[in-house]
Amino acid sequence: MKIMICPLNGPRNISEFVYGGQVKAMPDPQSVSDVEWAKYVFYEKNDIGVVHEWWLHSPSSYWFIAERHNASDEIIRTYPADELFQHRIEFTSNEGET
Amino acid sequence: MSTNLNMVFESPLAGVHHNGHISIQDYTKKHRWGLRGKGAAEALRTQGWDLPEQPNRLVSSNNETLVMALSQREFWLLDPENDALAVAMDEDFITDAYPLFCQDSHAWLVLKGHQTSALMAKLCGVDLRPETFKIGDVAQTQMALINCIIARHDLAGDDVFSLFVDQSFAEYALEALLDARQEFL
Repeated sequence: MKIMICPLNGPRNISEFVYGGQVKAMPDPQSVSDVEWAKYVFYEKNDIGVVHEWWLHSPSSYWFIAERHNASDEIIRTYPADELFQHRIEFTSNEGET
Repeated sequence: MSTNLNMVFESPLAGVHHNGHISIQDYTKKHRWGLRGKGAAEALRTQGWDLPEQPNRLVSSNNETLVMALSQREFWLLDPENDALAVAMDEDFITDAYPLFCQDSHAWLVLKGHQTSALMAKLCGVDLRPETFKIGDVAQTQMALINCIIARHDLAGDDVFSLFVDQSFAEYALEALLDARQEFL
């Protein structure tokens, strides 16, 4: 079976992991247009090459990031999400919105 | 002010105990509780608990309670000697952390015997032989295709595996273990 290396738990069978979508830079939710926000939420790139993806190690509920070549399916590197995300983002609604 | 966090309950496996070269015992009714959050480690240390230095390790602390670190921010405290109690926590104590209801969410099975590693090799992809998976090691993985936390620890002088599976899978997990155990009887 294919093996993936979880940054928290070490090498595990690929069946223990769940794909969580591509890692994308989030536009400012307060100022972004609806079209751009929809692109952010629903669109994913489909180029051949190394992609950055969210993966979940299901038995430990641990989310991390993997760099994978989407043609060869080689997993190049996996690392904790805090390598890319250092700050918590607070979502506050605009005044008047419900 | 404190909050009652756990209600005493019956185990779906009714405390079953299968004897043999490898024994399988239901510890689901034994007491356990957990804490998760960025303040969890600090809160537990303040209360006098010894914590493992890294995740996926387990240490014995305060009268044989086992403290299991599942990540930098998640800890389970396992008391194999006592039945489940209603846990009360001061609200101050759980600042920056929140309680985990592992008493209610997970079933607890204990495997004891000389060939437990060989039995587990039939069900789980992680190398659990004693030379690689030592006393105090914890693996969060799958066993018989269901999520499972596996810990190797000392229990009253015996080298045992503790298995924690979702409580709704308790009967399935026990059946899988009993089936795998047949060749070792």
